[in-house]
Amino acid sequence: MLRSRLITVLTINGGVLFRTKTFTPDYRYTHNFVDGWLVDEIILLDVTRPGTAPTGATSFESVVSAVAKRSFVPLAVGGGIRSLDDARRFMALGADKVVINSGAIDRPELISEIARVYGSQCVVLSIDTRKTELGNEVFSHFGSKPSGMSASEWARQGAQLGAGEIMLNSIERDGSLEGYDIPLCREVTSAVDVPVQICGGAGAWPHFVQGILSGGASAVCTTNIYHFTETSIQSAKAFMSKAGIPVRLS
Amino acid sequence: MTTVAIVDFGMGNIVSVAAAVEKLGCRSVVTSTPSEIAAADRIILPGVGAFGDAMRNLHERGLVPALRHLVEKEHKPILGICLGAQLICNESEEFGRHEGFGWIDAMVTRLDSKPGCRIPHVGWNGFSRRRDSCLLRGIPEDALFYYVHSFGIQCQSEQSLIADCEYGTRFAAIIESGNVFGTQFHPEKSQRYGLAVLNNFLNEDLVC
Repeated sequence: MLRSRLITVLTINGGVLFRTKTFTPDYRYTHNFVDGWLVDEIILLDVTRPGTAPTGATSFESVVSAVAKRSFVPLAVGGGIRSLDDARRFMALGADKVVINSGAIDRPELISEIARVYGSQCVVLSIDTRKTELGNEVFSHFGSKPSGMSASEWARQGAQLGAGEIMLNSIERDGSLEGYDIPLCREVTSAVDVPVQICGGAGAWPHFVQGILSGGASAVCTTNIYHFTETSIQSAKAFMSKAGIPVRLS
Repeated sequence: MTTVAIVDFGMGNIVSVAAAVEKLGCRSVVTSTPSEIAAADRIILPGVGAFGDAMRNLHERGLVPALRHLVEKEHKPILGICLGAQLICNESEEFGRHEGFGWIDAMVTRLDSKPGCRIPHVGWNGFSRRRDSCLLRGIPEDALFYYVHSFGIQCQSEQSLIADCEYGTRFAAIIESGNVFGTQFHPEKSQRYGLAVLNNFLNEDLVC
């Protein structure tokens, strides 16, 4: 039976892990856990705003390369992918999948271009949403630009174009620790046949259970790395398992 | 030290395969040169992407006759991973009909999306054993592996089906025929049990 996944999203800013435990930026933190922990998948996102990386900053590419060489779990990489060449660059560094967002909103054919070369399973369409009069509206460019499309509409179109997974995020819930936006999740999981990863808002183990059982998600994501130690991954998964969700426990 | 040729035909995640091979104490050579492949103790055929493009790339690099010779005449052990496992079958229906190496008597067909089974089949899943295999030495029954695919291998003969996985339909998880091996899952991405399967192929005696 296919297990539900617990995915760790690592946001990298200017070459360092964006959130850390002691406010000491150090992406090496990520190197050690990737093999020993029960994380099912890792997503590395470059969230560096253009032109803001400090001089001499570690390039995102070298972070990807370092993690790829040490992790024996699937690795998805995103942030600023706008062309097939961008995707190719990250695949060559060891990514298994690419995550695309604004690049696909600006030019939806990008989804098909990458899917044709690497297959649909390689394309994760990341969708950031915010509540507007349109319902759950899709926003691009770090949540700054409204697209005029609803989340379910864009997810459906993206899947038709060849996206193999949807990574769904609620901008309002992001970092809130209040739990995922379950109605949003349900709206999208019922609109598409591809797996949906829900992000934004997880702050306690029951939120993971809600994402899977109520939201219909195939995977639950967390970006709050500082909440995660080796024991907390086990504890989160044990909680999910007790709630009747099949997860990987060893 | 085992030398492993990882066939580079411009598709897929070669970096992870090479990292796993080296973690297991082997020397990895990422190559599309027949003589380098011939010099290796083991061959890995990786691959992510579309079947037709993969076979075309292999043909363009002159690798099809080279691999045929090494595998069929010299009986060099080869492991196909994911798309690589599909390429060693008879043919695939992905974007039209495409002929594979035909070392395993099997067809590659689309997985159907069914309620509760979203496609691609992506994530951690197990398999049911049908026959014994050297690849399974020391692997517990309940071990899980990482799969990510939209097409599945359907064996025509049960001889080569080592293990299968159920996701809406049944498809082969591990195939084997003589010196030819294939895994639909990614051993290089499946943490310790994945590395154990890979280690069985790389560092152990392949005659059970």
